[in-house]
Amino acid sequence: MKRLCFEIDHHRLLTTILLLREKLNNRMINVNVSLYGSLARFGGGRHVAQVDVELESNSGKADLLTHLDIPENERGYLFINAVLCEVPGISTGANELLNDGDHIGIFSVDRLYPYQYRDGLPMSDGLRKTLHEHGAVHHSYR
Amino acid sequence: MAKQILRIDMAKLTATYENVPERWSQWAGRGLTSAITCDEVDPLCHPLGPSNKLIIAPGWVTGSPAAPSSGRTSFGGKSPLTGGIKESNAGGLSGQMIAKLGLAAIIIEGTPAKGNWYTLVVSKDGVKFENAADLVGKGMYEVDELLWKKYPKTAVIGIGQAGEMKLSNAGISVNDPENKPGRYAGRGGLGAVMGARAVKAMVILDAGGPGVEIKNMDLFKEGRKKLTESIMEHGLTKKGGGLNSFGTAVLVNILNEAGGLPTRNFSAGQFEGATKISGEAMAEVCEKRGGEGTMGHGCHPGCIIKCSNIYPNESGEAIVSCIEYETTWAMGANCGIDNLDFIAQMTRECNDIGLDTIEAGNTVAIAMEGGLFPFGDEVSALQSFDEIRKGTPLGRILGQGVEATAKAFGVSRVPTCKGQSMPAYEPRAVKGIGVTYATTPMGADHTAGYTIAPEIAGVSGKLDPLSDEGKAELSLTFQAATAFIDSSGYCLFIAFPILDIAKGWAGMAESVAGVTGQAITGADVIPLGKQILKMERLFNERAGFTAEDDRPPEFMRNESLPPHNVKWTITNEQLDSVYAWVHEGEPA
Repeated sequence: MKRLCFEIDHHRLLTTILLLREKLNNRMINVNVSLYGSLARFGGGRHVAQVDVELESNSGKADLLTHLDIPENERGYLFINAVLCEVPGISTGANELLNDGDHIGIFSVDRLYPYQYRDGLPMSDGLRKTLHEHGAVHHSYR
Repeated sequence: MAKQILRIDMAKLTATYENVPERWSQWAGRGLTSAITCDEVDPLCHPLGPSNKLIIAPGWVTGSPAAPSSGRTSFGGKSPLTGGIKESNAGGLSGQMIAKLGLAAIIIEGTPAKGNWYTLVVSKDGVKFENAADLVGKGMYEVDELLWKKYPKTAVIGIGQAGEMKLSNAGISVNDPENKPGRYAGRGGLGAVMGARAVKAMVILDAGGPGVEIKNMDLFKEGRKKLTESIMEHGLTKKGGGLNSFGTAVLVNILNEAGGLPTRNFSAGQFEGATKISGEAMAEVCEKRGGEGTMGHGCHPGCIIKCSNIYPNESGEAIVSCIEYETTWAMGANCGIDNLDFIAQMTRECNDIGLDTIEAGNTVAIAMEGGLFPFGDEVSALQSFDEIRKGTPLGRILGQGVEATAKAFGVSRVPTCKGQSMPAYEPRAVKGIGVTYATTPMGADHTAGYTIAPEIAGVSGKLDPLSDEGKAELSLTFQAATAFIDSSGYCLFIAFPILDIAKGWAGMAESVAGVTGQAITGADVIPLGKQILKMERLFNERAGFTAEDDRPPEFMRNESLPPHNVKWTITNEQLDSVYAWVHEGEPA
């Protein structure tokens, strides 16, 4: 029986592993999420929780919410990098991609956020368009 | 029995009762303090001089049976901080008791012989002028305690050392149901106006008073029912809702996420320690430490929202009640401090010395920027209040507020409008509130333009929240609605349910109509509010204010605010349009 014999090239193996890891890393992103009020329980907190979430690199907001398993009717205001993206009852831009290092803040539906403190605030194009079409500005759209 | 005006002359030490003149008869609360100030105070007088007056007035429905969350007391006069007209209102025990004595307002005027301080004891039998020598130099915790030993279960209105020194940041304290001095008519330095009248404290005994006359009980009950149901239905104001669970500091995290939480003297819009100073964090501390600590505390009898809190130390003993949103922001994010225990102690210092927490926190931030001590130095920040209490030269500068302190320390980033520092909403990030800061007769004041849904208030069109267009009209509408609510005696937080629930808006107006007999409906709210604003605006004009006083501070046009890197973009022409209507129809 012919004996299989080969030499391991350690340097080549290490390079391959590093390349594979880099490739894998490129397929994943990390986002930081703050959960407020009753939503904190989805991050292991009592009234406020902060968690880091790893997602596929082409993930959007909807993927994050699915990952966190937060019911839609419990969600209120949602910010991505200080830009208002959701208000109670209006969710837009579900497929907009998240980027590595993004911060997302999600509030339970009972948050106090009066109109005049939103007026003039940066918001996503999708939410702006939807609110503009809606006409009247409410505290809640439920 | 018709309501009366109680006029107290501190020069003669006399008290007289007057019928409410026709020209003031429609007003209460802010509307009445502003009407009296306009009629009786020389706009050009020195705020601490003998011509200024302190006017105290409960709202239209204050003291009426079970009107929900309606215990506000308005305090008015010419402001030492702004030089303009001022109304500042507080919760606590005083409003309901003054109203039950059948008083529409108390006017305190004149100056007594130098060196004498007084406690005014107001009851159904008149006013007693008691020597207050035993209270002078004492903080409000001790003053409240001493006065309750003599007059238990009464309302106590008073000033701490700041008011005695006539500092421009001196507020007026009202005791809460636990007889603690946590309820302040803080803004604008009216504590110094009370000090200038040499009144250290007032005790209000309502026993045997005539109560509040209800002109149309059926209408009042109908309005009260609608409003109460709306408050209890709304997610923010109901039992277990946002305000009840986390207090007003529920706003910390949301403004921070939005990039609109002023940080380190308005140099950034987000604070990395925001979660640690938020209402959610307060609730966790109260739950963990227990004892006297609690959220959901009511600041006056009959409040059904209960957004106050009692913050405990590690042993569960109360440090202070309460830490409001503006307080935890001013002492916290704006000073780079993320330690709630220190914020609680600084708040207690303010309540004891008699300081407005917004102006005080902003002043500490200015001192930090000026190099007195670094941002985040919580120990030095807390110690700085001792300087004010003792009346050291440094303390007297800090006690004058932001503008004086900025001059003393050579700071040019000065977040004020009309001499009063801004509250916890960055106007470069939240442009709508900035128009109100700049144009309200009160100086930078978030409560001057509170929440009224644009469609309810009659603002037309599809408002683009990102556009500068329409901000002037919107701000005016908010300011007018707020002036009405400030006159009603209702807490401003009823604004949330009356925004979202139509019957609440109607209920508020109907309850006012039921008490007063005036034909007020929801449609009258904005026009009546504008009448109040016009009085206030004209007083300021006579005091020398011009359009140039309706401007945001210069640095906001020049410095970009992270994280959005935005500057103030609303034009002066837009700002001038907010009050252009005041002189419409007048000859050129």
